[in-house]
Amino acid sequence: MSFLIQNLILNPLNLFGVIFGVVPIIIGLIVAASHPRLFMLVVKNLGRNRLRTALTFLAIVFLVFMVIIILTVVTTLDSFTTEKARNLKLIVTERWQLPSQMPLTHADYLDPSNPKFLLKGFGITPNDFMTWSFYGGTLEPGKVTLENLIFFFVMDPKHIRTMMDDLETFDPVLVKKMQETRQGCLVGRERLEAMNKRVGERFKVFSINYKEIDLEFEIVGVFPEGRYNKSAIMNDSYFNEELDKYARQRGKKHPLDMKRLNLIWLRVKDRPTFEKVAGAVESASQFADLPVKCETASSGVATFIEPFKDLLWAMKMVMVPAILISMALVVANAISISVRERQKEMAVLKVLGYRPTQILGLVLGESLLVGALAGLLASAFTYYAFNSMGGIPFPMLFFQSFPIPGGAFLWGMGMGVGTALVGSLLPAWSARSVKVSEVFSKVA
Amino acid sequence: VVGTFRESVRGVFQGGVRIAVKIIIFLLVGVLALVALMVVASLLACAAATLYALLPFPKVPFRYNVRNLQVRWKTTVVTAVAFTLVVALLVGMLAFVKGMYRLTQSSGQPGNIIVLSDGATDEAFSSLPFGVDVLRLPKNVQDMVQKDGDKFWAVREVYVVVNQEMPLAGGGLKRRFVQMRGVDDVELAARIHGIELQEGGTWFSGKTYEVVLGDGVARTFGADMGKDSVGPGDTIRLGPKEWCVAGVMKASGSTFGSEVWARDIHVQESFGRKTQQGNSYSSFVVRVKDPEAAAKAAEFIQNERGQEPFAAMTETEYYSKLSQTNQQFLVAALIVAIVMAVGGVLGVMNTMFAAISQRAKDIGVMRLLGYTRWQILSSFLLESLIIALIGGILGCALGSVTHGWSATSIVSSGAGGGGKSVALKLVVDAQVLLAGMGLTVIMGAVGGLAPSLSAMRLRPLESLR
Repeated sequence: MSFLIQNLILNPLNLFGVIFGVVPIIIGLIVAASHPRLFMLVVKNLGRNRLRTALTFLAIVFLVFMVIIILTVVTTLDSFTTEKARNLKLIVTERWQLPSQMPLTHADYLDPSNPKFLLKGFGITPNDFMTWSFYGGTLEPGKVTLENLIFFFVMDPKHIRTMMDDLETFDPVLVKKMQETRQGCLVGRERLEAMNKRVGERFKVFSINYKEIDLEFEIVGVFPEGRYNKSAIMNDSYFNEELDKYARQRGKKHPLDMKRLNLIWLRVKDRPTFEKVAGAVESASQFADLPVKCETASSGVATFIEPFKDLLWAMKMVMVPAILISMALVVANAISISVRERQKEMAVLKVLGYRPTQILGLVLGESLLVGALAGLLASAFTYYAFNSMGGIPFPMLFFQSFPIPGGAFLWGMGMGVGTALVGSLLPAWSARSVKVSEVFSKVA
Repeated sequence: VVGTFRESVRGVFQGGVRIAVKIIIFLLVGVLALVALMVVASLLACAAATLYALLPFPKVPFRYNVRNLQVRWKTTVVTAVAFTLVVALLVGMLAFVKGMYRLTQSSGQPGNIIVLSDGATDEAFSSLPFGVDVLRLPKNVQDMVQKDGDKFWAVREVYVVVNQEMPLAGGGLKRRFVQMRGVDDVELAARIHGIELQEGGTWFSGKTYEVVLGDGVARTFGADMGKDSVGPGDTIRLGPKEWCVAGVMKASGSTFGSEVWARDIHVQESFGRKTQQGNSYSSFVVRVKDPEAAAKAAEFIQNERGQEPFAAMTETEYYSKLSQTNQQFLVAALIVAIVMAVGGVLGVMNTMFAAISQRAKDIGVMRLLGYTRWQILSSFLLESLIIALIGGILGCALGSVTHGWSATSIVSSGAGGGGKSVALKLVVDAQVLLAGMGLTVIMGAVGGLAPSLSAMRLRPLESLR
């Protein structure tokens, strides 16, 4: 029940798909089952001008395909900026600037397994904590190309399954291997292919952001297909040891030594707990020298997306309606041509005893059948084609690709059937209103 | 065991899907090649038909096509409106991309070289050695730098992305990233970057916390306060401090229009760039005497791998690298336009096929009157072009409404780049309109060719039966 509420009632697009796609299809199937001859007539009529049917079908397929892509990008971004009610993830970052750069000691106060932990009594366990640093570099010194560039999330591997989104079921054997291999790293399939490396190989990275901290790595595994295809993870212990070694060997700290920590993640059970935790973190005297801010992951993402708000608005409010309107026009055009050509036929059907409602249903049935099949085919193709590549390849901020959600099937059917319905209503009504005497007087 | 089995099944399924998709992609490439051929053939046929219509040869009267469009006005209007929507969308999307390109192209001055820390590609991630100045650049470059008396045309800049907090009316906070540039000599920096102030403003003295705002960011802050733009005398909160607005930059259509400028020391102390070792800078911009020698000078700096290696490039190159996002949006806009155009093409095909089937007898009569197959083809092709042009012109007109609209976006260099959020103006120029009309002609030509060929192939006697 909660699944239905979450996916249908709370998701307007899925609800649209159900109302305009699934419900008309079910009604159509019931009508087809109770009036098999009428349904066969619909199918036969579609077969009479196969070229027109095919052209209309293809037009709907292409346009639904495009709308699904646009909606996927928009809804994915929306879903990242929508607050969750439970199990909220919080990001603690430097308060006033980007990129956030904090001293490692900041993590001590927020790590539940550290004696200095400040947030006792909020139900935060060691599994609800994670830190990220970012380490990036190239495989050849000074040569920055997409092929030899790699960026790592620097983190404790034990938090991969507990805190990383979509890695909850990640292979525990690989996690263990990462923990045991100091120089180990996990790399996404696409990054691995771009670097032309395989699991088990070793490589050296010449750092871009941590000057003179050049590190060697051993690839211990690959991420599952999807959002981490271009990402990489390395051990935070290795990173921190190398920075400490730099200070010992040179007699002075690395310029970024006190700025090596970029993000601290925490998970709390609900919104009221978040408010309390955020208040406690932001007012803690331990962070007075370098103030921090505490925000939900969704509000953090929303800040990054803010500059794209005009573009996203245009995609949602201009592009999608424009495409849907042109789709309805294509259908309206095809159906009205077909109705005009078959005026005599409609008149004959009336003479044979067909009621106006049946004629209306006949015309609507033709367009709905084309719309439903085209919508279904378009959504199935979009879903399988893009998801087999890990999603729509459109790198934007920290999103590498946008996987097509399962709801796309509902949207596709909704759009196909909905626009077919809108486009064919007027022609179907004019077919219903054909006057037998007028048609035959013209023939005479 | 169940989990492993499920994973294996999923793996096999995903593998199968991947192979199927590869086959489909292979087939699609073949189809695309055929489509490309068809587009070329259609355009050639259209060009020939138009030329033929313009020359004083015997042809099907043009009035015949116009009358037919008038008689079937509903179909004509519906098809043209579909074209209008497609073309208007393309023009709007290209206007946005054009606005972004104009922004990145206007930001770099030809004679300027931007010096960053070694390996950095973006000033957001650059941290220059303390005390950087012209005398630490290679000797031959020092001689190339423009001077006013003893003063080099060079400016140290610290660039930070500030997290601005804005209290919401209903409680809570809204956050926004604001680009802030601290400069050591503001008037020289303005000359180097080609920036001027709007009437009533002054460059900051540096004694108090003052800022000069880009025109775009001034409008954004103005919207927060319920007015068009903030101006001299207003106060804004950025980071831990309140800043007094000393002036607003004149609109230059560059990325500087989205920046807040302040005195370097104030930025450094407010945003953790002041250390015991010295104050940290992100970039060092120098103007060379001869703009044509700028690339050479940047190369000298880049190749000098001494104690203090730097990354250097001309400012125009730096900002043109920020057009990675623009390219991405351009490709996305073209893909959307092409897919929508396919819908439009299929729509016009439907219309033209219907027109031909309704006018089969007309075609038979025309053939019997002596019109050749080629004349019939060119007549129907022109008719399809007319529908497309009506829709296309309306689409261009509708899309042109977006010219001058303000929008926000991000420009970035992609790989390892930080990106800058920018306020831009949409630009509809001749190039954008040409692209819109080009798409119109392609849609009309491709959509009209197949039906016109079928009209051409009709046999006179059969069509009259």
